[in-house]
Amino acid sequence: MSAVAATRRWGMAIDLDRCVGCQTCAVACKHANDTPLGIQWRRVLDVELGKFPDVARLFLPVGCQHCDDPPCVPVCPSGATRRRADGIVTQDYDLCIGCGYCAVSCPYGARSIDHAPRGYFGAALTRQEGAVAHDERRGVAQKCTFCVERIDRGLARGLVPGVDPEATPACAAACIAGAMTFGDLADPASPVARLLAANPGTVLNGPLGAGPNLRYFTRAPSADIALAMPATSPLTGRRQRRWDIRAVANFGLGGSGSGLAAVASAFGLFGLLDRSAILLLHLLAAGLIAAGLTAVWFEIGRMERLLNALRRPRSSWMSREMYVVGALFAALGAEWLWPGPESTGLVGLLALAFLYCQARILTAAKGIPAWRPRAMRWLLLASGLAEGCGWLALGNALLPFAPDLTAPLGLAMILAAAALATLWPIYWREAVAGGLGDGAKREIAGLMPAMLGIGQVLPAMLAAGALLASGLVALALSGIAGAILVVGGLCWKYAVIVDASHVQDLILPQVPRRGSGRLAALPSEPVEVRPS
Amino acid sequence: MSAAPERSQVPVYCYQCVAGPDLLKVEVAGDVALRVAPNFDCAAEHPGGGKVCVKAYGLVQKTYNPHRIRQPMMRTNPRKGRDQDPGFVPISWDEALTLVADRLRAVREQGLVDERGYPRLAASFGGGGTPTQYMGTFPAFLSAWGPVDLGFGSGQGVKCYHSEHLYGELWHRAFIVSPDTPLCRFVLSFGNNTDASSGVAGVARHAEARARGLRRIQIEPHLSISAALASEWVPIRPKTDAAFLYAMLHRILIERDWRICCDLPFLGRDTNAPYLVGPNGYFLRDPESKKPLVWDQNGGCTRPQDAPIGRPLLDGTVRAGGVEIGPDGQVWRHEEVEVSTAFRKLIDHLRPYSPDWAAAECEVPADTIRRIADEFVTQARVGETVVIDGVTLPYRPVAVILGKTVNNGWGGFEATWGRTLLACLVGALEVPGGTLGTNVKLNRPADDRHATVTPTADGFMAYPFNATDRAGWQSKPHIRNAYRTLVPLAANSAWSPALGPAHLPWLFLKAPPERWPAPTRPAVWFCYRTNPAISFWDTEAVAERIAEFPFVVAFAYTRDETNHMADILLPEAGDLEGLQLIPIGTTKFIEQFWTRRGWAIRQPAGASPVDCRDMTDIATELARRLGLLEAYNQAINRGAAGVALKGEDYDYGLEPHLLHDRDAIWDRACRAASHALTDGKQVRDLAWFKAHGAMTVPFPQLRWYLYPTLKAKGLRFELPYQERLLRHGSELGNRLHESGIAWWDKQLGEYQALPAYKRFPEIFVEYAREVGRDPAEFPFWALTARSMQYSWGANAGLPLIDEMARNIAGHSGVIVNADTAAKLGIAEGDPVEIESVVGRTHGHATLRQGIRPDTIVMIGQFDHWAMPVAKDFGRASLNPLMPMALSLTDATGSGSDTVRVALRRGSGPRRAEP
Repeated sequence: MSAVAATRRWGMAIDLDRCVGCQTCAVACKHANDTPLGIQWRRVLDVELGKFPDVARLFLPVGCQHCDDPPCVPVCPSGATRRRADGIVTQDYDLCIGCGYCAVSCPYGARSIDHAPRGYFGAALTRQEGAVAHDERRGVAQKCTFCVERIDRGLARGLVPGVDPEATPACAAACIAGAMTFGDLADPASPVARLLAANPGTVLNGPLGAGPNLRYFTRAPSADIALAMPATSPLTGRRQRRWDIRAVANFGLGGSGSGLAAVASAFGLFGLLDRSAILLLHLLAAGLIAAGLTAVWFEIGRMERLLNALRRPRSSWMSREMYVVGALFAALGAEWLWPGPESTGLVGLLALAFLYCQARILTAAKGIPAWRPRAMRWLLLASGLAEGCGWLALGNALLPFAPDLTAPLGLAMILAAAALATLWPIYWREAVAGGLGDGAKREIAGLMPAMLGIGQVLPAMLAAGALLASGLVALALSGIAGAILVVGGLCWKYAVIVDASHVQDLILPQVPRRGSGRLAALPSEPVEVRPS
Repeated sequence: MSAAPERSQVPVYCYQCVAGPDLLKVEVAGDVALRVAPNFDCAAEHPGGGKVCVKAYGLVQKTYNPHRIRQPMMRTNPRKGRDQDPGFVPISWDEALTLVADRLRAVREQGLVDERGYPRLAASFGGGGTPTQYMGTFPAFLSAWGPVDLGFGSGQGVKCYHSEHLYGELWHRAFIVSPDTPLCRFVLSFGNNTDASSGVAGVARHAEARARGLRRIQIEPHLSISAALASEWVPIRPKTDAAFLYAMLHRILIERDWRICCDLPFLGRDTNAPYLVGPNGYFLRDPESKKPLVWDQNGGCTRPQDAPIGRPLLDGTVRAGGVEIGPDGQVWRHEEVEVSTAFRKLIDHLRPYSPDWAAAECEVPADTIRRIADEFVTQARVGETVVIDGVTLPYRPVAVILGKTVNNGWGGFEATWGRTLLACLVGALEVPGGTLGTNVKLNRPADDRHATVTPTADGFMAYPFNATDRAGWQSKPHIRNAYRTLVPLAANSAWSPALGPAHLPWLFLKAPPERWPAPTRPAVWFCYRTNPAISFWDTEAVAERIAEFPFVVAFAYTRDETNHMADILLPEAGDLEGLQLIPIGTTKFIEQFWTRRGWAIRQPAGASPVDCRDMTDIATELARRLGLLEAYNQAINRGAAGVALKGEDYDYGLEPHLLHDRDAIWDRACRAASHALTDGKQVRDLAWFKAHGAMTVPFPQLRWYLYPTLKAKGLRFELPYQERLLRHGSELGNRLHESGIAWWDKQLGEYQALPAYKRFPEIFVEYAREVGRDPAEFPFWALTARSMQYSWGANAGLPLIDEMARNIAGHSGVIVNADTAAKLGIAEGDPVEIESVVGRTHGHATLRQGIRPDTIVMIGQFDHWAMPVAKDFGRASLNPLMPMALSLTDATGSGSDTVRVALRRGSGPRRAEP
């Protein structure tokens, strides 16, 4: 590949007064990039605004925004997703492991993973489909590349992207309405820069700060269109489907397992657990963590490339999680070989680090408003530790190995439940302020009372009861409280990761004035009749 | 390792829809077509910048569709019907052509027409004439054959702009009407879905116009694609468009001072507004020359319309003498009688149609109508001029366009008249910025609408009316749709069979009317690129009639609902497999205004995956087997395949007695076309065209406008007064009544000099009573809308197009107003059942705000039950709901694409979300 000039910054201006929603750009993209059934790197949304008889309709081309600060790039554990010096966000299909982290991190829903590409007419490909098939894209992330090959090839031939159609992204070159102008935003003389100088327009989801390089403009913006969107609006984020119960298993089992390891280390270092109990509990924790990681391994598109996830520790919490878990298992092994407070302490610290990585993984997924609030980190940490206490209490109730543990463990569970009860409202406020969509709002609003009542108050009361009771009753109350904390943790994680995982709504602050009734664009000049 | 296959870019054209042709390139690797891309080599010449729309990108998938008919097939089940398995078995091409030729030979031996005078051979083609651009020399075969009934409709009349086609050609040589979009500033669109159906050129032109400030007001019941892009959407009650237009006319002529609002010189000199009208409703004419008279205020006397007239009286009543010529030569002589100008008659005629009256009819506020009328006048810039190609012309940047359902069926005439008259009031007809025609299909010559402008003594353009006088009227229909008998305006060109009442054959086959030669079933029916079993009105009945045809030869791409009844399936070479040269440039419908003219080629792009044959080869072989080779070659030489091989100074004609293969024929066509285009300076052969794709020469923009041609010939537009129509209608009534035919009387009422508004919605509401049902059972209007992804595309079976179309609301369901749906207990994606007096259709609800609460919309034409892929869509369609009835047929023989329906929640699963 030729060296990419850092002086260029490719972008696109989209004229909302021109786009007719014909999908020519979308299908031209499919041809130019050979995308299979169901994969559209470029598509045009059909959006309705208002309510009859005051209603307008808008066509909105969407796709990868080639952001200045693309949220998909730092999270990618393999380094497959990169941002070039000229602003194009690229995808290396040979590196990508298909974890979907970039997809849930994109606030524009621009990324797809096709695990089992099939032909338009079924499993058997037509001759043409076979000739243009891209096996390298199976199970990995894909998205608009601004037709980077056309740009690079064109530049090498002395062509000007955005001017010469052969060097211009296929969608813009094919647009029959001239609604897409591509070019170098850094060159004030480029057609796109001149167009945007005259019509600055706006960007999608600007407040998220990603710095998208698709700008949308209209010559006659409407000032008073209420952007209340029905659930059926294509602007409304739907649930993501890439991280499913397997991801929940990782955050659930891994979270509680690491919490258990940390809690066991702590209680062990304070002398409340004997050596064999520590080892046994750490073994259980390792099993839980391994089970979670195995589950999520089955979720990635290219399982054989798992080790590629180690390639980007500088920015990806997923890579870091991989390193930490490696160190954690090494420490667990060391603890078996050389038991002692040092190794136990090391396991505890690495377990905490693992738990922290998990917390950061979820909150770095900027495409999901329910995941990205900073309070989610502390929720995951607190919940992990609460679940760790829960496992400990449950284990101690079933197989009493530390009778003196009941009181301090009860206290720890009460503190953990209190922390969770405190964090949830903080999280809620932050999530709502951060753009939590209606769908996710409904899910979380429905979850919170149950979480508070059953997930936090009840185990806290049971733990308090355990403090007051003694003997088997105390153990039983403590065990039940622990079980509730463990199950509660799994439940809320499922609810947040799956049920409330609506992707970011698309918010365009400026739409054209047109439509019926109050929304209509009336004549700007007075209607006068002049003598002929 | 094998070498990479050789890659090439093959230039071809796309003429899938009437808004074409557009030019593209197909990337081919080895013998496999891979991808479609615009043809930017033609960017400067093509009005759409060398681009193609979404449909063209389906062509590659269309080629490799595994459901294609892979070789000729023969039916083995003699019983036909939807419920019958045709039992198709593969046969060789030789066997297939033998079977067809044998049957055709038998027909010839029996006689080309049957005992009732109808041709024994019939053929139906779809898509607004676009199949001609794909059928190679097949038209030459039909020409060599003799009489063929081309009047079995497959969408014509109900799916087209029928009134516009006929009246548009009469008034301004406008088979299709378009704004002069590049110069226009204000467009009123009554349901014309420009941004979905005007093709690449139309979309490009309108987008450019919007960017420079064009205001378009879209008046229609549903917030269509085009309404979405308009400055304003006015949700009008269906079929009341004429009322809105009449109210605008009333506003300008009666509420405002027309002396200030209107283009008086245009009205006085370029229309029949000043013509004097006698007491019997016909023009007062000079007794000697029989020319219509105008009152000259300078001399205070009448003068023939073409005499020097100092100051023509526009509005007034005077006493004058002359003659009136009525129907069948009836003459009234007047020594001195009170006569009014046509303009005065017009004002009196429009007096009842105030905006307040229209407000109740259209359910649009009167002030909105007034505001729009006022803006129309203001934006017209009466008095301004512009220079085009060095000629100064009036500049009137306002236009009115009408959509399907508005300009066909009842109300179509009135809407078309109102629209064209609005343009006349401000001098905006056929001038820069205004309302223009694009091409002609009824007048001749077909390739130059200016050359069709020949004068009549009345000062108008001549028009090839079908005769209605006693001597000339064709009392016995020569084809089953009887266009020459029933529709004077349908003329008699090659297009006329499709522009008559194309549904009547289907209707009359079931129940012939009184005193009428009952139509017979054609002995052989060819069916090419059309699917009337799902694409017409009352499609269930149409399918039943097709099943009764004794021998159907279907050129077949995949199995479909029409070829389900076929006896022989012939897989012809497809869009990217055949070879053909077509004319491009000049002005074509819908918005193709070129500054070039020339020729473009379609050629094979890769090897065909099936055993298909080029239409030219099929036509040649049939001609050979039937002993028609000489006549066939001569027809090609005359230009029956689109290119005349002989001209005044060139002769590339085929030797008539010899068999010529496809490439040889089109090589001659290439040479002849390029010779004629360049006066012999650049003669190009087939190889050149294959390499370059197209050849064009300049075409002046001045030729976009008919006004200079009329002025040069001293002619006027035949508006507002329709004396000729009145006379033809009266004569037609006389002829029919003399034959004892009364079933066309309602249609005869449409022949009015100044058309009255007729409460058109009631026609559709009240139809239920005609079949013994209560109109209250059917409280909703059902409409359809064109789709950029599908319209005319013959691509319903392509999953790629389905994938694209699903991005646009309404393609996966019936569009219902959300509040209406809530009242009916219907949620998004719920199954719905829609019922009319003739049928039911089923789909899923798509809830939207952009639709009137009393209206539902079903986009495109689906309801397939045989076509692979499409039959699994489960989409509702308007077509099986549409009653086919004489009472719903207007005087031009068309019906409106609308029906009253009941809507209810259906049974079955909800729509699966993607």
